[in-house]
Amino acid sequence: MPREIITLQLGQCGNQIGMEFWKQLCAEHGISPEGILEDFATEGLDRKDVFFYQADDEHYIPRSVLLDLEPRVINTIMNSPYANLYNPENVYLSKHGGGAGNNWASGYCQAEKLYDDIFDIIDREADGSDSLEGFVVCHSIAGGTGSGMGSYILERLNDRFPKKLIQTYSVFPNVDEISDVVVQPYNSLLTLKRLTQNADCVVVLDNTALNRIAADRLHIDTPTFAQVNQLVSTVMATSTTTLRYPGYMNNDLIGLIASLIPTPRLHFLMTGYTPLTTDSQVANVRKTTVLDVMRRLLQPKNMMVSTPVQRQGNNHCYISILNIIQGEVDPTQVHKSLQRIRERKLAQFIPWGPASIQVALSRKSPYVQTAHRVSGLMLANHTNISQLFDRILNQYDKLIKRKAFIEQFMKEPIFKDSLEEFDNSRESLQSLIDEYNAATKPDYLTWGIQQAGAL
Amino acid sequence: MASKPSSRSEEIQTLSELLSRLCVKLTGLSGDAVIPHFQLALNLLRSKQSIEDEDEFRIVERLKKQLVRHGREKDAAHFVDLHRKLQSQMLLRNRSAVLKLFQKLASLEDKTQQNKVTSDAFFSQGLPSHLVSTPNSGIHVRGRLNVLTGDQGRDNTMSLTGGSSGISSIRGKDLSSQDPTPVAQSFMPSHLVTPALGLNQQTASHAARSRTIAIFGRKPEDKENVYNFKTVSSSLAVAADISSNEITQQSLLKDLVYVLQGVSGRWIKFDVVRNRMDLDASIPKCYKQEIGKLSESGWLYIKIKSYIDQHSTDKAFGLVGQSFCAALHQELTEYLRLISVLEAQLEQEVDPGLQDSCSHITLAQLLVWTYEPLQRLKWLGELVDTCKGKKGGALTSTIFSYTHHGDTSVKSLITHLLTFVSQPIYATLLRWMYDGELDDAYHEFFVASDPQVKNDQLWHDKYSLRKTMIPSFITMDQASRILLTGKSINFLRQVCEDRTPTKGREVAMNLDLTQASSMFSQDQNSDFQKMLDSVYELTSQHLLDVLQTKYKFLEHLKAMRRYLLLGQGDFIRHLMDLLEEDLAKPAGNLYLHNLSGILEIAIRATNAQFDSSDILRRLDVRLLDVSPGDTGWDVFSLEYRVDGPIRTVFTPECKVMYLRVFNFMWRAKRMEYVLAQIWKNQMCSARQLKTIPELSPILHTCHMITSTMVHFIKQVQYYINFEVLECAWDELLTKVYEAKDLDYIIAAHQVFLDTVLSRCLLNEKSREILQLLRTLFDLIIEFETAQGVFFEAATSEVFTREAFDKSKKERTRKGEWETNDEIERAEKSRRNSFLTAIIPSTRAKLQVVSSAYQDTVNRFLKMVASHPDASLRFLCFRLDFNEHYKVREPRGRLSFMRAN
Repeated sequence: MPREIITLQLGQCGNQIGMEFWKQLCAEHGISPEGILEDFATEGLDRKDVFFYQADDEHYIPRSVLLDLEPRVINTIMNSPYANLYNPENVYLSKHGGGAGNNWASGYCQAEKLYDDIFDIIDREADGSDSLEGFVVCHSIAGGTGSGMGSYILERLNDRFPKKLIQTYSVFPNVDEISDVVVQPYNSLLTLKRLTQNADCVVVLDNTALNRIAADRLHIDTPTFAQVNQLVSTVMATSTTTLRYPGYMNNDLIGLIASLIPTPRLHFLMTGYTPLTTDSQVANVRKTTVLDVMRRLLQPKNMMVSTPVQRQGNNHCYISILNIIQGEVDPTQVHKSLQRIRERKLAQFIPWGPASIQVALSRKSPYVQTAHRVSGLMLANHTNISQLFDRILNQYDKLIKRKAFIEQFMKEPIFKDSLEEFDNSRESLQSLIDEYNAATKPDYLTWGIQQAGAL
Repeated sequence: MASKPSSRSEEIQTLSELLSRLCVKLTGLSGDAVIPHFQLALNLLRSKQSIEDEDEFRIVERLKKQLVRHGREKDAAHFVDLHRKLQSQMLLRNRSAVLKLFQKLASLEDKTQQNKVTSDAFFSQGLPSHLVSTPNSGIHVRGRLNVLTGDQGRDNTMSLTGGSSGISSIRGKDLSSQDPTPVAQSFMPSHLVTPALGLNQQTASHAARSRTIAIFGRKPEDKENVYNFKTVSSSLAVAADISSNEITQQSLLKDLVYVLQGVSGRWIKFDVVRNRMDLDASIPKCYKQEIGKLSESGWLYIKIKSYIDQHSTDKAFGLVGQSFCAALHQELTEYLRLISVLEAQLEQEVDPGLQDSCSHITLAQLLVWTYEPLQRLKWLGELVDTCKGKKGGALTSTIFSYTHHGDTSVKSLITHLLTFVSQPIYATLLRWMYDGELDDAYHEFFVASDPQVKNDQLWHDKYSLRKTMIPSFITMDQASRILLTGKSINFLRQVCEDRTPTKGREVAMNLDLTQASSMFSQDQNSDFQKMLDSVYELTSQHLLDVLQTKYKFLEHLKAMRRYLLLGQGDFIRHLMDLLEEDLAKPAGNLYLHNLSGILEIAIRATNAQFDSSDILRRLDVRLLDVSPGDTGWDVFSLEYRVDGPIRTVFTPECKVMYLRVFNFMWRAKRMEYVLAQIWKNQMCSARQLKTIPELSPILHTCHMITSTMVHFIKQVQYYINFEVLECAWDELLTKVYEAKDLDYIIAAHQVFLDTVLSRCLLNEKSREILQLLRTLFDLIIEFETAQGVFFEAATSEVFTREAFDKSKKERTRKGEWETNDEIERAEKSRRNSFLTAIIPSTRAKLQVVSSAYQDTVNRFLKMVASHPDASLRFLCFRLDFNEHYKVREPRGRLSFMRAN
């Protein structure tokens, strides 16, 4: 089966959102929690084989690898109705079982030691695919396992599968609340270096924004992990619909992201989703035409990244936009909506090249009933994402100035000799911020040349 | 009322019996010999009766006035006084008759000097006039007619005569049931009764009787103005001539009976050669006019008869023509029947036992009686003239044009004829519409069939409308609907192999053909239209059902979209992956069986495998005609084989269109994948090549060019997806669902293909634009090659450097110096020479590609923007969504190229 995608779920957060993602996929493809194809779903126009493989006629198994350094979340999964969904050989729990202690360095170094075990699983999965398209990594950048082990795995994936795409769904920490993970900025910075250098596409899931959306848009005062993860799984599932429901376009991951990412490093994507509702309040969304959906997707309040995308006075702009619209859509409406958006200048685009709003119509799963006639997901490459990095950089700078909590890191082999890795990572992140800022200006075309001249 | 006629006739019967006994006694004759005397006596009585009927008061008044006019007022007063006395004394019974005698005598006295007439002559003169005109019988007839027609009055009489003259064979029974035989007897003048009755009984023909009704039914109206003065005057002349001329009216009449039948008589001869009539010189001038008029009927008879004779044996004249002849023939037969009645009447009168002076039929009478038939003959003659050389539908059209005549009698005559004539057409039409069979050996029907055409072209080419044969009462719209219905049935029977009979067929086939009149009476009722509509709807719907259910039309249509219009994205993607290597080869090196094998693999590996085997079986690879220099990409195409009925929609022409669209989309798709590949290479190389920072400007340039190209191709693809496919498809599906007949679907499908073709820049108007697009595609390939060369060189440089570093480490391990000046120098110059070799050349190459690309895009956009087809502006709109090109237009080329 062509163009398979292997999902790697790393750490507590990664496994949680991963679990939600598989739940959603199972529901959409009519696969039971045990992996058995439901009777009503036998006649499929969907492509199950991108994310699942077929053990026998009606048994589907996710192409998923579950990795963690501590057993809590994986045990939860293994005690859930979905326990039998996964290939048990693909579930890897560190024998050590103590976790990474929210320490990037610990996660990174443990992963290094577990390299053989981990890559045995990954290689086996890769061998089981006819023409592997790439990997999807789910993790958070703030903790220890997802960030540390994630970083290590990203590097190794690059080495072992240089021609395969790596897409990550990376959860960024909530900056609104005081985190119990004090070294969060360290972890984030170090992970971001790998995300910049070793991943091809990073879908930024900003916990700040997700919580805000849960509170403001869904009116939940203290959103649970499950509720936030529901949002995440919706985004993940929708962003892969064009791969799972074949149509004229966007049938592979590369086609999907190639048009969103003009230069290798500017690959951090924001997402927006509408209509945002919980199960109990679906009636709140009145009109759902294509134009409505597209317009709402451009509103900052529906963005799942906590950086205002259209603040007055700066030149931040969209590099690219892809709207995946599902539901009953009159194709003739798409053009009209695009015209309206251009007339009203609802989206500011880069000044150095052609850019458009791409609209992909995608089929909806017939097995999942939603109250909305039309729903939409936006994947956008916006220069303003740099503000998120800026924030992390500032927090890092504050911490590193005091060398706060640095000793935890220095215990691990990677920082035994020097803290050079911190400086490297900071430099990498800074240049990423610079590049994003440069992309707001017309002379971005010559940006590389200036850089070269400076050398 | 029903009993009245019989009692009355009984009365007449007894009276005539008494009279005949009296005659026998007086003359001493017996048996048949006495009949003429009896007849005379009867007539005498009749005439007397009529005198009696004359209003006494009016005669008195007239006499009084006459006296006053002559200045004899006293006499007048005296006369009134005398008359009063006469009235009071009941001595004289026939007062009015006596008074009338007085009046006549008085007026005769006035004219004695001019014309001496004996009282004998007076009687002989007066009697015939009464005999002929039979004024009392006129009144009787009127009364009887009322009996006959019930209370509906004269209108009904008209319709009855019209109807009876025409559809006698059909309506016969009805007529007889409401027309008791004695009545018919009674309202004919009694001297006509016997022979006429005899004839009726012999032939039992209701038509003849009704014809007689028609004649005599008409008579009362004309009585006052025609008979009273004309007959009287003419019979005066006749009476005068009888004695002086050799040719008697009697013998002339006898002659005329022949003439009426188109046979030359003794004095009146037909000149066939000169197509005229010759009157014998001995015929008195005073008759000539009447004879002329009478012989017109004969002449017309000959004309019509010869038309019939000429055509009824002519097989090529066709069924419609035969019906026409038959109808004409029927009319003539009825005409002859009338003549025979007249003849019988004449025969009786010229019975040897009777004197010539007893002749009761005059020329004028004959004229009147033949007036109506003459009119009919005239119209028939006219028809015969105008219908010359016409046949089939055209013939009916011609006849139909006469039905608009204002005269109701003409109208009914023509309608009757038309009913006859259109029957074969109606029969053919029913057969065609219900069975799809074209029973039309003589090409009379307006649907023509070409037996040469094979089944796969049946729908398009086999049947056509024969425009000249469309009867004018059938509109073009109806005609094409009829064509469509029968064609659908044939299509079902022959191509779809479906033999389900149309609903209601049995009923329709058993209906008699009189329904034919519904065709040309559409302004009065819509039965015909309703019949057409229902059969059309039933048949078309059935055909569509068969196509959908048995031949899975919609599924094939969707399959065409999925495979030929690249809707099945995962399959297309995989197929292209698999074919990439093969298609890069020259077109001549491709082997169909290899490609078919690859196609099979692609089907098995993707969701295409879930399609029904019937659909997949039809999918195949096709190579277009190879021209020198073509690669596999230029000639490769998918093909979807269709057979059976759906070929009618997916004609070979349509397939060619599909192939062209496929080729275009396939190329565009290829560009999409090429660019994805370029992009992927960049992402991968970026990680490797970051060790050579000198290359980053080139890499950045590559990224910039790629992102422009990706944007362009992606937007072209979105345009194809939405504006070309989705919108047109949406329209097509709507039309397919609402379609009432196959033609509608064919047209919708054609529109769909045309739209797709023109929006894909594949029509003539967009040729230049397409050329530019091809150039852009070529430039993308060129760029891919250039980048490939660069990446290869750069990657090998990276490996060389890694090897160099490795060797340094190796030396350290061996305990040697890691490096020395010489090695360093050599390495540095090697690196420099690499950079100076690769950077300028790559930069130059990229610049050429980039500026060519930029120019072409700008030209492309300008041309698209000014293209007459507005839908292409969508493409322009999408490509220049952030107005990047519009801003750049004056500058013309990428500025970073200058900076280089």
